[in-house]
Amino acid sequence: MKKRVLTVLLSAVMALTMTGCGGTKTDESGKSSDSKENSSAISGQSTEKVTKGKAPKGAKTIEVWSEDRHDLDYIESMIDNYNKTNEDGIFINLTIISDDYENMVKLAIDSGTAPDIVGANAFPLFKFIDNDLFVPLNDYIDADQEYQKVNEPYEHSYEGANAHDGKIYHVYSGMRSGVRVEYNKDLLAKDGYDEIPAKLSDYIDMAKDVTEKGNGDVYGIGFTSASPFERLLEMSAQVSGIYYYDYTKGKFDFSGYKEILEQGKRFMTENIAYPDQQGVDNMRALFAQGKFALWSNASQEAGVFTQQIPIDKFEWGVAQVPSLTGEIKGALQTTPSKSYAILSSSKQKDLAWKVISYFQSEEFTKGYLEKGYCLPITDYMDGIIDKSKTGRLADFSMLDYESVYPTVPNVNLTGDDYRTVLWNAVMGYVEIDDAIKDLNTRYNEALDADVKAGNSKRLVISDYDPMHPDKGTVSYKEK
Amino acid sequence: MKKRKKFTKDSFVSGAMLTPALVLLCICSIYPFLWMFRYINYDYNGFTATYTGSRNFVRMLHDTTFWQSVGHTFEYAFYKIIFIIPLSLIVAVVLNSRLKGRNILRSIYFMPTIISTAISGMIFAFIFATQNGILNEVLKSMHLIKQPIQWISSQDHVMAAITIMALWGGFGNYMLYFTTGMSGISEDVYESVKIDGANGIQTFFHITLPMLSPVLKIILMLAITSAFKDYEAIMVLSQGGPGNRSMVMFLYIYNLIFGGQGTSSQPQIGYGALLSLVAAVIVGAVTIVYLRISRKLDDVM
Repeated sequence: MKKRVLTVLLSAVMALTMTGCGGTKTDESGKSSDSKENSSAISGQSTEKVTKGKAPKGAKTIEVWSEDRHDLDYIESMIDNYNKTNEDGIFINLTIISDDYENMVKLAIDSGTAPDIVGANAFPLFKFIDNDLFVPLNDYIDADQEYQKVNEPYEHSYEGANAHDGKIYHVYSGMRSGVRVEYNKDLLAKDGYDEIPAKLSDYIDMAKDVTEKGNGDVYGIGFTSASPFERLLEMSAQVSGIYYYDYTKGKFDFSGYKEILEQGKRFMTENIAYPDQQGVDNMRALFAQGKFALWSNASQEAGVFTQQIPIDKFEWGVAQVPSLTGEIKGALQTTPSKSYAILSSSKQKDLAWKVISYFQSEEFTKGYLEKGYCLPITDYMDGIIDKSKTGRLADFSMLDYESVYPTVPNVNLTGDDYRTVLWNAVMGYVEIDDAIKDLNTRYNEALDADVKAGNSKRLVISDYDPMHPDKGTVSYKEK
Repeated sequence: MKKRKKFTKDSFVSGAMLTPALVLLCICSIYPFLWMFRYINYDYNGFTATYTGSRNFVRMLHDTTFWQSVGHTFEYAFYKIIFIIPLSLIVAVVLNSRLKGRNILRSIYFMPTIISTAISGMIFAFIFATQNGILNEVLKSMHLIKQPIQWISSQDHVMAAITIMALWGGFGNYMLYFTTGMSGISEDVYESVKIDGANGIQTFFHITLPMLSPVLKIILMLAITSAFKDYEAIMVLSQGGPGNRSMVMFLYIYNLIFGGQGTSSQPQIGYGALLSLVAAVIVGAVTIVYLRISRKLDDVM
């Protein structure tokens, strides 16, 4: 009898473990959709063949992998077009991998099933080039005047992001803007405000006033639980000339954040912020319902608030993030996007380049940008696209102080990352001074150890200018 | 005693039946474990592995976030077990009586077990939402609270929230274990105590509970090990926050191995492997301690 009970128990446990396995899977897709902030990524399908039809006999198939799904309609039709009309006998076969993309690419490289081309803008460059996985594109670029005109590859090469040591590994053809303030015009106008203050303390005062007048119904500002520090205070710090890595000395330094944190803390201690921090989409929905007046995020909100969670109850405006003093003393980080790299394992590199030059041709890029998928990165494309077609994205156009910061050395950090810790300081879970001290110690210890072990190099820019972080002379130190 | 033969038909059959499970266990469990194990002395980001000697070990000793998460895991497991075991036992006993519609009730209570834990995390995000959340609205309409409770976004309540979610998701399962256990108790015993005039409570404490004790022991062990390993629903519901208040050790390890949300952190497979080893040792130690105690109790009883 005892045995029978055991058998039943064991089989129940097995059944449970199996449902458990199922659980983790869904879980991951849930996570990645949130981190990419792309609700269309939730489809339950992580890998999908996109190209229609089969390669005709004798065609040379170029395999392309990408993680973007939001722009699929356009890309699909353009590839279809190319497969039918190109004279080189090339057949582009696109596969979308929206989950765990980097690992999937790595796995494919290890097992010899890698594609010819990968969408590379989200990849940490050094991981790939230290292992010779990307092909430098300079020779191809230099031989192609038309490509240079459209993509301005040398003007938009960023150390540690897509280029290293003069070699360019992938070229961006679009970008996401830096963070902007999105605000409820009607709500602010009701309380007597018609513009967003340039000074952080005024910005907080305004939010406080709206909250007080809202009587618990309406609040001045809302924060999400998903990386909230990044969406306002970190960017206010950037435009105030404060950054977490001291490029001139080549070490981490968080002490600059003290004043920003002290001010940011007011959102919590003075009960200004909406009293709950939920996931990004929930907070967007609350903003769209008019529950709070100020929200801040980058240019993807243009699509979100017109299509995904359309705002039709009120007018919404877009403004620049406030700085400490009201003056701009540092560059605001933008995120370049849509770039393609050729994997060194490809046996058809020249054909792969032809495909990339099609993806980044004027015709292709113009259509892409006019669909409003992202902002143009080059002045040339900015000049020729019809902005009346891009909708609210036009409000997020590049500012003259927007730039790309050189990639800070990747470290094997013990414990929480700086965004978590600094937000904990804002929330009052840790003291500001303790948080800064803790981060300075842990980040620099990790950097020292990684440099010593040869995992990482110390990035130093002796003539670093916070207004033009991408313009300095880059050097790497091995100690 | 029979003399052992080397190849009987029986041993062939049982061997053949055991092989698939054994092969799968080796491929899906033991091999990955050993694969991870070789990296405990390395920094490994999925691309390059660098030998770092004892650095990972030293880091582990000083990693306050990790040790805090171990503390939270114990706290969570404690809350989960002290509520879930009595609750599921009581429900199982009640539903074991000749109650009308008991099978329907059983299925309803069991249903959360079928739902993936990640989905339950998403469902509870709606239930626990501060504004317009179902739970707060219900409590408000019952005049139990005036101000909405910040279930997930306050450090004071998040542990309660994840415990409630775990109870909902797990108790139907343990209830089923108990039901199975009780079906092993002979009807004759119940009939004889009935004749002796015992009431329901007496029957429970003097017949059901003692006769369930071998099953109870196993269920408790399962409950302890699984409570220590829970992290999926927490990852979806609170991401370990606010301020790491609900960070349990396997969630921290998951973040390390698969790369956290921050840009400056990268996958740390080597360090994560070391921490999972430590976590496995911790879970193993707890189980051994439990087994020791339960054996002692057996001797006493």
